[in-house]
Amino acid sequence: MPEAFVPLTDFVNESKSIPRDHPLDKPVAKWVEEEVLDGEVVEAGVVILRTRGCYWSIKEGCSMCGYFNDTVPGGVSDDMLREQWRKVRPILKGKKYAKIYTSGSFIDPTEVPFDFADEVMSDMSDMGIEKVLIESLPEFVNPKNFAYTNSPKLEIAIGLESSSPVVLDKSVNKRLRWPHFVKVCKLARDNGAEVKAYILLKPPYLSEKEGIEDAVQSAIDAAPHVDKISINPVNVQKNTVVEKLWFRNEWTAPWLWSVVEVLQKCEDLPVRVYSDPTGGGTRRGAHNCHDCNKKVLEALKNHRLGLGDLKGLHCNCKSRWNVLVNQSKLRRNGSEPHGYRSGFTGGRHF
Amino acid sequence: MEPIGHEGLGRLLKLEDNLQTPHVVFSHSDLEESKDLESGGTITIGKKFSLPPSPLGLDSEKSPYLQLSENIAVIDNAYSIKPKKLVEIAKEFRLEAGYSRLLYAPAVEPSQMPILAYLGVDVFDDLNVELRSSTGWVLESGEWIKQNKQIEDLFSHNRAELNRWILRIRNAISNGKLRELVELTSLHNPRVSQILHHSTSLLIAKGARVHSIIRSNDLSLNHPAILDFQDRLSNYEPPARDMVLLILPCSARKPYFKSSSHKRFFNALREVDNYLALHVVSVTSPLGLVPRELEFCYPAAHYDIAVTGQWSASEIEMLRSQLAKLNLKQNYTKAIVHAGSSSEIMTKLIKELGIDVVDTRVEKPSSYEGLEILQNIARMSLSDVPLLNTRDRAKGEAVGLAKFQYGDNSNFLVKSEISGRMPYKLRCGDLAAMSPVVGGFGLTLKGGIEYSSQGGPTIIAETFKLIGDLFAVGVKSYEGSWNIGDQVVIKQNDTVTGVGIAKMMPEEMIAMKRGIAVEVRHHA
Repeated sequence: MPEAFVPLTDFVNESKSIPRDHPLDKPVAKWVEEEVLDGEVVEAGVVILRTRGCYWSIKEGCSMCGYFNDTVPGGVSDDMLREQWRKVRPILKGKKYAKIYTSGSFIDPTEVPFDFADEVMSDMSDMGIEKVLIESLPEFVNPKNFAYTNSPKLEIAIGLESSSPVVLDKSVNKRLRWPHFVKVCKLARDNGAEVKAYILLKPPYLSEKEGIEDAVQSAIDAAPHVDKISINPVNVQKNTVVEKLWFRNEWTAPWLWSVVEVLQKCEDLPVRVYSDPTGGGTRRGAHNCHDCNKKVLEALKNHRLGLGDLKGLHCNCKSRWNVLVNQSKLRRNGSEPHGYRSGFTGGRHF
Repeated sequence: MEPIGHEGLGRLLKLEDNLQTPHVVFSHSDLEESKDLESGGTITIGKKFSLPPSPLGLDSEKSPYLQLSENIAVIDNAYSIKPKKLVEIAKEFRLEAGYSRLLYAPAVEPSQMPILAYLGVDVFDDLNVELRSSTGWVLESGEWIKQNKQIEDLFSHNRAELNRWILRIRNAISNGKLRELVELTSLHNPRVSQILHHSTSLLIAKGARVHSIIRSNDLSLNHPAILDFQDRLSNYEPPARDMVLLILPCSARKPYFKSSSHKRFFNALREVDNYLALHVVSVTSPLGLVPRELEFCYPAAHYDIAVTGQWSASEIEMLRSQLAKLNLKQNYTKAIVHAGSSSEIMTKLIKELGIDVVDTRVEKPSSYEGLEILQNIARMSLSDVPLLNTRDRAKGEAVGLAKFQYGDNSNFLVKSEISGRMPYKLRCGDLAAMSPVVGGFGLTLKGGIEYSSQGGPTIIAETFKLIGDLFAVGVKSYEGSWNIGDQVVIKQNDTVTGVGIAKMMPEEMIAMKRGIAVEVRHHA
């Protein structure tokens, strides 16, 4: 008999050895989007800096995360980081809200040197930015890592993904422990920062129903410890375990109806729960049938900005979603037949 | 459970409560969700069995491939695993699952059920049928159609149709026609045809040899029994040296020598001096070449093809490689081709191999004129060929057949006292005699003793008086290996007490508590 079962994460490290050729003096991306600040819709400047990237992705990595594709394995020098910063400043000017992402943890001093981070924070404070969002793994949420001399109000986003140890271990492959997460949330809040939690919807291997149940339960568990919760429907990023499963048709991206369902079940939670699906409406992101993708995404956006609710959405594909959800646990994985969302009407629609 | 039929790697099992496999479970009544991610839910097949948990985080392309619970083995993703990989996995099905677990493939499309059953899957479900039903599609003989007329409760309608589809698969196994059903579903289904294409060598190596009629077509060039026959021809030797090869057309009636055309050929030829030095080989598709002494062997006497008179490129290629296996230059002095519409191509192919060949150029080989020409050409060709007597010829035929049938274990027959003559009276002393049922030499009890001592497949049975067939419950252990349909020897207390035809795979005999293990032909 063959030995142990082989986890699929084993293959991912292979794709990480593919050399990546990125310009070091340019950020990965920058754009402006609408956000809510103190109950008011404002413009937010969003920036993704190119860095060495997440330490965990170098070691093993999470099954759905393809952000390592944007990183530079050898690291980026301070000079280059400053050059990148010079290029993104214009987009942040005049904004009240800024989101500074790296493809890793902003407060990991080995990824973003503390001195550079301190300069950037002072600069934003001088520009009149009121609140800045950064992301980090829980292990770096230590007050000394964000004890900036002068900074806007800090909001630290932590990828909780799920409160279920089985999902974290087997499906996401993330070494996060629930008690530790609770501890760092308190630590951050005691030190003047807000905490935002990311929760995955339908991580790989899970069926639609398991995905919904897991996201709702995770949100309920996390709500007392955080200030807001973002539901992130898993999307298919390059060179990930998720992409492999998706290519093999063993898992498909969640339905937008599932996103709506999770948000509705979380309505009564004491914190704001919303979703901005990455790649929404495409085959690689959360989607429904091609008739209602736009409509539902628009409703989700209004819900996120507090301009509307999710009631009254309807489409023919919703009954299909219902049938699938009800049987999805029996399918033993996250798959469904090609073309189901559009009722097998043919063509290259999805 | 009790095996009552096999084809390929598929099995028709009788279960409790009058259920049979391949079986379909209905999700609303027979399947129960798992409580959490680490448990597996249940499946009801007569009784309720627990399912193994789903394979969280695992790579479906790395072994072990099956998830196991006590009674059920699950092949997850059977609907999507790449065809070549799926066949590779099918090779391991019984090694991982054993014979006493039912193999369940969840969420499979009806069109893929026949090929999966052919590769050994026992249980299917209606999950994809439910999804299709919810979008208004109607199931019809394994395919999906849209119809304008509204059907009330489409899901129930489609479930009933799925039941009929599964029944058809079961029926196909019991009639030995599963291959036909699989070929049918593969016609316009690239996934099924790819799986079928890749599974040929697995089916030859491990598939049950059921002697059912092969109603053939172009696709059947890859039928496992046919490829196996063609392959064995490379170990074949003609009855004697320096014979004249005579290529004749095949006939609708099998074995060929019983057909009216071949009787006419024979009557015309036996008037020629030294006619025993003519070696008759029939040309046919999809088998290629069938020497006279192998006409009893499966599948030479068990196929039927739509005769078109046209040879396709792939068939010509097949004929070329079969001719090469006969080793013409070494085995024959010359060749005569008298094969009607196939004459031209056969003459060309034989010429390529560098021996003298005469084409009778007769359009109707068994017509009076045709036979006269054949007679004359045979007379001329045989005039300078060494004389071959009946005895030597029969011996040569027996040796050729024994080697073809028993391969490396054939020595005991080759060395035996061979007597009689083709076709029916040929025998190897008291060890084996011609048997149309076996399709060649059928072993006698004494032959069984010799065969077993030469390493032939042997079943060790419990101690009891063997009357009639041997059932699985009486099987203790086994030596050697065999496929279903092969001859096996039965030993009890170290003495051979029976010979017969295997009806189960080796491990299956051990695992099963019910069902016929060996159809006994002779016992002590």
